Amino acid sequence: MAKSFDVIIVGAGPAGSMAALKLARAGLEVALLERGTRPGAKNIFGGLLHNTPALNEIFPSLWEKAPLERHVHRKTLALMTPEASVAMSFETGSFEKAPYNGYTVMRPIFDNWLAEEAVREGATLLASCTAEDLIRENGRISGVTVKGRAGELRGNIVIAADGVLSFMAEKAGLRGEIKPGHMGLGVKLLLGLPREVINERFGLVRDEGADYSLLGITRGLRGGGFLYTNSESLSLGLVVHLDSLKASGQKPYDLLNQACQHPQLQKLLKGAVPLEYSAHLVPEGGLRGMPRLYTDGMMVVGDAAGLCYTNGFNLEGMNLALTSGALAAECALEAIKAKDYSARSLSRYQKRLGASFVIKDMRAFKKAVDMMHMERLYAAYPELVCGLLERIYRAEGKPRDRLLKLLRKEAAGRVKLRELLADAIRIGRAWL
Amino acid sequence: MINIENITQMTKFEIDDQPHIILNSELCRTCDHHACVNTCPAGCYTLSAATERLDVVYETCLECGTCLVICDKGSVSWGYPRGGYGVNYRLT
Repeated sequence: MAKSFDVIIVGAGPAGSMAALKLARAGLEVALLERGTRPGAKNIFGGLLHNTPALNEIFPSLWEKAPLERHVHRKTLALMTPEASVAMSFETGSFEKAPYNGYTVMRPIFDNWLAEEAVREGATLLASCTAEDLIRENGRISGVTVKGRAGELRGNIVIAADGVLSFMAEKAGLRGEIKPGHMGLGVKLLLGLPREVINERFGLVRDEGADYSLLGITRGLRGGGFLYTNSESLSLGLVVHLDSLKASGQKPYDLLNQACQHPQLQKLLKGAVPLEYSAHLVPEGGLRGMPRLYTDGMMVVGDAAGLCYTNGFNLEGMNLALTSGALAAECALEAIKAKDYSARSLSRYQKRLGASFVIKDMRAFKKAVDMMHMERLYAAYPELVCGLLERIYRAEGKPRDRLLKLLRKEAAGRVKLRELLADAIRIGRAWL
Repeated sequence: MINIENITQMTKFEIDDQPHIILNSELCRTCDHHACVNTCPAGCYTLSAATERLDVVYETCLECGTCLVICDKGSVSWGYPRGGYGVNYRLT
């Protein structure tokens, strides 16, 4: 038996639920499929929910309604060696005023909330449903089948919001095989700690939060670490490039356990109780890692569309997903009004996305992907900076060298001047 | 600290009786790196030292897809578990 909807959305993550909410609000019949027992049950992130206009538009005072943990008002970037660390912290009062710049959230809780909001607008949430295959009719995608269940779900448009591995995009012929070089593996440990201990230890008041990006914590592998404060827990995790992980022969959970043992992190984690361990792939291929975004009867959003980027400072994904979901919904609405579900009609989604900050930012920092492949960024440079500072600060009652001489001593055997210049150019290309 | 042997004490799973990962042992035998063993964040893959046989435990799979992406022999048939089964994050 086939059930018919205007739009079928595969995946009730941020992108899928956002699309469902907007379409249901406009009066369309929307099916929102979720393979977990409830939305968010399969989702983790190592990040923040950044201030997202598409979300604010629907929830003008998001921070009063949504299940958020803390708003982040201090950002820290730390370069680490096994013994030492040097950190740059940025804190401002303007991040303490609504609309806040970013929040820590628990994905099984936040994603479930957003999906429930879509249901309140009239979307049909079908939890515990894994989409298995696409249905095609007259060369156009017109529905999905569900694993282990008879029958089909029919729709004029399918929105693939099925996450980083997007089997829907693959089956639609929109992407080829996923390359290890385009993926990061994130592993994360959620650690319980009382609210007042977190506030005191991290110098936070009430719902203020802190965010740490850690470079040099991955034993030389290409990748980085993160530490976020939630209301009553800390999120500690690593993201490493899959090709780099494979080449190293190291195990991701061993790397994370070693990170927990770092002397400076140990102090922040003291007394924290492991609550949950999780892992997920992260699209890290930038523009090159993206699939095609539409075909006859289908659009691809969020992680499924490879919408995720980092330039070393900004790590964004969830806000891009939400925005792409909103833009796909706008396009679906027009297509349904015009009864035109062709690729040409749905190509408006790509145009809209291209005009938004989502693709503009990914394009602006597209060279950052190359910068992130600089091996020296992950061990040699953190060691160089920490070593230099140690030489600068160490007092031994001996005459001090001037800084350039110290730098030369520290760089000797670690990095050549030629390499330093080449890397400086790569960083310049990524950022400037 | 993560003790991967006791992953079920930290992370919840709804175990399906149907496996969602199936290996082609013929192809695995031709593999010279077995990168799945080290890269799997749940330690689901083991290579027997005695028999050189690769085995996978699908029950504690975190469904990240690392093995699928890392395998260059095409030996891993991998799909998401049926709806409602598999890893079930509570907080994270």
